[in-house]
Amino acid sequence: MAVEARGLRKAFGDVTALDGLDLVVAAGSVHGLLGPNGAGKTTLLRVLLGLVSLDEGRCEVDGTVGGFVEAPGSWPYLTGRQNLQVLSAMDDDPGDVGEVLDRVGLADRADTKVGGWSLGMRQRLGIAAGLLRRPQLLVLDEPANGLDPLGARQLRDLIRVLASQGLTVLLCSHDLTEVDAVCSDVTVVSRGRDVWRGPVSQLKARPGRCLLTTSDDARARLLAPVPLDDTEVGLSFVADTAAVDRFVLALANEGVAVRTLEREALPLEQALVELVS
Amino acid sequence: MTLLRLELLRLRAQPRVRVAFAICLLGPPLLGLVLSAQAGLPRDTLFGRHVKESGLALPLLVLGFAGTWALPLVTSIVAGDIFATEDGHGTWQSLLTRSRTRAEVFTAKLQAAVLASLTLLAVTAGSSLVAGLALAGDQPLTGLSGTQIGAGRATGLVLLSWASELVPLLGFTALAVLLSIATRSSLAGVGGPLLIGLLMQLLSLLGALGSAANALLTTPFAAWHGLVRDDPYYGPLWQGALVSLVWVVGCLVPARRILLARDIT
Repeated sequence: MAVEARGLRKAFGDVTALDGLDLVVAAGSVHGLLGPNGAGKTTLLRVLLGLVSLDEGRCEVDGTVGGFVEAPGSWPYLTGRQNLQVLSAMDDDPGDVGEVLDRVGLADRADTKVGGWSLGMRQRLGIAAGLLRRPQLLVLDEPANGLDPLGARQLRDLIRVLASQGLTVLLCSHDLTEVDAVCSDVTVVSRGRDVWRGPVSQLKARPGRCLLTTSDDARARLLAPVPLDDTEVGLSFVADTAAVDRFVLALANEGVAVRTLEREALPLEQALVELVS
Repeated sequence: MTLLRLELLRLRAQPRVRVAFAICLLGPPLLGLVLSAQAGLPRDTLFGRHVKESGLALPLLVLGFAGTWALPLVTSIVAGDIFATEDGHGTWQSLLTRSRTRAEVFTAKLQAAVLASLTLLAVTAGSSLVAGLALAGDQPLTGLSGTQIGAGRATGLVLLSWASELVPLLGFTALAVLLSIATRSSLAGVGGPLLIGLLMQLLSLLGALGSAANALLTTPFAAWHGLVRDDPYYGPLWQGALVSLVWVVGCLVPARRILLARDIT
């Protein structure tokens, strides 16, 4: 395991940030960390980076950790290269500054002062700073913040490449498209506790609410595998993807036309909302 | 050593440090030029009336002025910001997730702040001495007891007087470091020592504290007055050194403890 954390507790004054949270991250995986604002995700990442001490619990990380929490910091009066050179000199076995700049696509702007950089470029510099540690675990908190669509896509590609090279990535993101695209497993955090963990595919397969309109709602009720509710726009029901498939085929076989069928939200988003609400 | 070198590298790159350095380097010559061009002299200021008589008066005039508020400000510009700037830029997480320990980072930053303060002090002293000699020559200096002091001895006394400011300056450096760490604010780190220094000066002027005024960190800044006389006395220097040492320890011990224990949020 890259990370094995049990019973993590941390309070800041009267505010409980972590309330017995468990986290297990498999080595070499891209693991997503999901949850609403204030759920404790950022505190958990700070614990992993050694920035915050625990009140209780045990947290074991296999190897070096690199990465950033919230917005990655940088010294605006130094160039991108100088920023990394400062950090490189503070490590016992750092990576090559030029190489990591190249990996995150900043080689061309590396010798300009960071003060004039866009948010997206600073995000990439943060990733480069994390990679400079030659970490076994890379922690990324909302890394696509400020990136344009192309930049976000390049970031996803970079994460995939890093994972293919054996690096474990812990990705905290509100962008479910990003999580869906790159993560193999996720842990859902709410109110300082882990409320669900497992493969993304399982999370997406959780029953979701569907809206259905048909040519014959009365017959549809008879064929439905689950109870149907009436709404202003049609019938509403909760079923997993396999059950929905069977229902649609059954309707077709009985000559009932399906006019519209849509989920209220993306499956992952819907699953997440149900888990944390 | 590497950490210290990195801190100094970053200090050199900061615009505000460059401005402070420029002020320390150019301020005394500019003051000397202005005074030379004026018909009158600042007679109510220590050594002000002798500025045109001897080049050795200018560095002591500057010293009297600097000890009031300029030295606390100059040292605070570096020491009051060197820790809080990491909070401002969000770079603690970059620094403290490396191979170096928090204690090592604290030590390197403290060393850099001390070195920068000493450099700025030395630059101001050197600049005012050179400017004074260039503008008014090396005639004998009229000391505080009214007698003439030969140029050679007076030069030594000027340098010794400036050197005596080192210890209270370190006290203000430690105070700025404490405020910088405890408040996590550059504004409080830089402005705090200046305000505290002015408050101390005010209390001294009002005479409200009696002998307790000797415990103030600003009092040792005036200890050099006892040197530039026919009958020099050194008691205030030793007393000032002891007071400053207490301030240094009293500020640095909690500052280190806070940094080592704090959560980086």
